[in-house]
Amino acid sequence: MKRDEMARLIKTGILGLEVTEDDVRRDIAKASGYPFSAYAVDLSYLELAKELLDGTGMLLTAAVSYPLGGMTLETKLDQIRFALQVRAEEINATLNLGAIKSGDYETLRYESRAMVAVADGAIDVIVIPQFEILTTAEKVRTCETLLDAGVRAIKTDGHGGVCQPEDILLVRRVFGREISIEASGGIRTTRHALDLLDAGADFIHTSTAYPVLADIPG
Amino acid sequence: MSVGKPAGSDLARAIDYALIRPGATYADVRRICLEVRHYGFGGIVFLPVHCERAAGYVAGLDIRLVAAVGFPNGAFTTDGKVFEARDAIAHGATAIEYVVGVGALLSGNRDLVAREMAAMRAATDGRVLRATLEASVLPDEEARFVCQLAAEAGVDFVVTSTGFTDAETTDEDVRRLSGAAGPGVGICATGGIRTLEVARGLLGAGARLLRTSAAVAIAEELAGERGGEDA
Repeated sequence: MKRDEMARLIKTGILGLEVTEDDVRRDIAKASGYPFSAYAVDLSYLELAKELLDGTGMLLTAAVSYPLGGMTLETKLDQIRFALQVRAEEINATLNLGAIKSGDYETLRYESRAMVAVADGAIDVIVIPQFEILTTAEKVRTCETLLDAGVRAIKTDGHGGVCQPEDILLVRRVFGREISIEASGGIRTTRHALDLLDAGADFIHTSTAYPVLADIPG
Repeated sequence: MSVGKPAGSDLARAIDYALIRPGATYADVRRICLEVRHYGFGGIVFLPVHCERAAGYVAGLDIRLVAAVGFPNGAFTTDGKVFEARDAIAHGATAIEYVVGVGALLSGNRDLVAREMAAMRAATDGRVLRATLEASVLPDEEARFVCQLAAEAGVDFVVTSTGFTDAETTDEDVRRLSGAAGPGVGICATGGIRTLEVARGLLGAGARLLRTSAAVAIAEELAGERGGEDA
């Protein structure tokens, strides 16, 4: 794989407590030199990023209830409406992890349906199930529930965690190509990224995209 | 859990038991609410998604139910934080703790932080409002600025940390922030509070409240001390 081909499979971004406006400007300017697929920011920088990403070919990703997933459904929907208003192309919404860990898949289904309904096809709904804290059974049941609710893409982790090829293989084995898998969490090397892609990931999410590209010939 | 223990000491009343990690279950929420009642803690801090459930367990009791808004990065729009705060109150929260725009402060955008604080104060009128900063990553002058802003805006407490960094709040942090905020604003210390000794130190330095996930360990230490005295 050539470097540009790899970059097209990467979604990057800058998120966190200490991120400044200058950080966002600098990082997007740097990312613009590569054919990355998408760029994610916290909602406070969504409008700025929309402006800066214009003409770069990168999609704008809005982080919703990020990274803890502990906001109410109403607040998540409010944030999705804001992302729609700014004309972001996709959202990364952390799921109601408390519901999943409590075995309450009805709530997960209800919330997922509501998010898909508000997005109304105008923005891609990519959800974060935080695989790091889920058991194998919870991972499968969560994906099953998401598909039933009309969600077609997951981003494996949002808050800590290191993405494991085994998780990608699991989802592919059980659900085939029905669901798009964006691998995320601690991906900082070319080897790790290639392992996840080999396991069947559709995209690699990483805020450290350049080390990931480092060992790939231009 | 035994029943019939005497209700909390002053120290327990100054503790807010916090459970804001992702993936807390319904059973965790119930357990923590019962522990708060049992040990006589003054309050409880949850992410908004748990507030409605928690409200059922502490209804009619003198226990603060604090919703953690804009957590943990504070990197949401002002309108978004206001919506989340109002929504948390609608779901049963009796107090709001929100993360100030730390990134905005580090960008030199003090106006945004000031406007946001005024909007949050207006949205939570009549409720206790706390503004959370991250003392470990903010330059001293920015931390002081937030404290002064809180005094002007009528915010009830400044919280020293989100609790999502490794930062441990020191007695010196409390004195510094307390001095900047003045007597009208309480300091709620958080970050690395796991022992009775640390808790006493921070209260002694002037903290009015402590937010910790290790509330039970501290209360047990206190009970052990008292048991020792009785014997």
